[in-house]
Amino acid sequence: MSSLVVLGTMEQGLMYAIMVLGVYLTFRILDYADLSVDGSFTLGAATAASLITAGYNPWFATLAAFVVGSLAGVFTGILHTKFKITPLLSGILTMTALYSINLRVMGKANISLLRTRTIFSDFTSIPLFEKYGVLILSLITVAIIGILTYIFLETEFGLALRATGDNELMIRSLGVNTDIMKITGLALSNGLVAFSGSYVAQNQLFADISMGIGMIIIGLASVIIGEVLIGTTSIGRTVFAVLCGGVIYRYIIAFVLQLGLVATDLKLVTALIVIFALVSPGIKKKIALPGKNE
Amino acid sequence: MLKVENVVKVFNKGSVNEKTALDHISFFQKKGEFVTIIGSNGAGKSTFLNAIAGNFPCDSGSISIGSRNVTKLPQYTRAEYISRVFQDPMSGTAASMTIEENLIMAFRRGEKRRLRLAIKDKDRDFFCQELSKLGLGLENRLTTKVSLLSGGQRQALTLLMATFKEPELLLLDEHTAALDPKTAEKVLQLTCEVTKGRTLTTLMITHNLDHALNIGDRTIMMHEGRIVLDIEGEERKNVTIANLLEMFERASGAQLHTDRVLFS
Repeated sequence: MSSLVVLGTMEQGLMYAIMVLGVYLTFRILDYADLSVDGSFTLGAATAASLITAGYNPWFATLAAFVVGSLAGVFTGILHTKFKITPLLSGILTMTALYSINLRVMGKANISLLRTRTIFSDFTSIPLFEKYGVLILSLITVAIIGILTYIFLETEFGLALRATGDNELMIRSLGVNTDIMKITGLALSNGLVAFSGSYVAQNQLFADISMGIGMIIIGLASVIIGEVLIGTTSIGRTVFAVLCGGVIYRYIIAFVLQLGLVATDLKLVTALIVIFALVSPGIKKKIALPGKNE
Repeated sequence: MLKVENVVKVFNKGSVNEKTALDHISFFQKKGEFVTIIGSNGAGKSTFLNAIAGNFPCDSGSISIGSRNVTKLPQYTRAEYISRVFQDPMSGTAASMTIEENLIMAFRRGEKRRLRLAIKDKDRDFFCQELSKLGLGLENRLTTKVSLLSGGQRQALTLLMATFKEPELLLLDEHTAALDPKTAEKVLQLTCEVTKGRTLTTLMITHNLDHALNIGDRTIMMHEGRIVLDIEGEERKNVTIANLLEMFERASGAQLHTDRVLFS
């Protein structure tokens, strides 16, 4: 791998790691297989790209991506908790609805951000940051979000959120409204996913209607890779593991591309990684699958 | 203290599986009273506790705790007054979380969960002190995940979690039934210790007639969603297990013949 590829992969990995953290919040913390992710990733990208091309400040656009992503999560949460639709179906419904919404947001199937101001162009224009600006900004973002997530999961509210995914009966009998917990968890998760989408779009300089397809499996693969390689003995370690998983996944993909596979084969490779992780007994022992108590 | 009036609960209403689980049940319990509940399987004992805890809305009737009518309140709001220990040792604790995390969640029962760091050092000192009372050595394992504990240890922990922030009403749903005899005895002993010397109003379901008569102040027997027997004081002291079975047959017109009851 050339140093340029190594650098680019690292940058991308860090941006996708934010999405992976979002997937971790639902899949692991809430034990909720949320498929809205495919839609909310694109939603984040679409929102940021549309606002930026409409002349808004890119930092504001990025923040807006987080907010609309959260709203998508709230929608899934309400479908599930108030209308008792199963987690899988609630996610699929949101994902499907978001496809049309994303097209509405963008007005067309893709938006180019070439020669527009983005958060990255702001950063790389700082003297000495030309080459590593993207990397530094991504690294700072991931560090801040990782630490905030860790602290959040250690608060009273965070504990209640984790218990909701672990033993809903118990935490409800301790006086926690688990519906609110699930909706909040889904909102945060989808917010992070959309936030990640807005970073990716600004880095690759376009937003595309199909960029979110398969995101949930990428997220799951990354979560599993991180957990297996780094471990889950404590919450802090798991958050770190999951973020690393996001980066490592990108390197695996870059490696596979170097081997001569074409980009369109990547979804197959990703699915195979997840299948391998789910069926191999050694790994199975290390990771508890969603929907199953260890 | 606890007042249950004319509560009715019918499951699967209108279908062939319709089942009247609670049939116009009325029950009054004084503050500080320890009541044991017996009855055959399907008598409505657990449904009775679930109705009090608010797992489901009742079809009719009313439930009050103290001076508050809680009939319409959802379960998570009633948690402020009620704590529970379930039969399954797995269901009272969050397995993937540590002992101290489980304890602090129970310590905040019924309170609003805020965005502040959950556990502080002074909480840890308090937990150590409380855990040492269990005599299981858990006080040195605050950061151990609960999934690594045995069923008995988990149930003892659950009992501590249910009582160290004093509830107005403690509901025990066959909380020793899933444990081996020795551990069950230990957990039961703990139950007596934590409820004694405090004015803890307790309802305990048991299948052990010996426990039912010797623990607590009063015993009620349920059958087909009704309370068919209610004994306390002198009368209760003089009752033997054989008497109890006889009384049940007379009161219900059926035989209390589940082997779980006979052999316990």
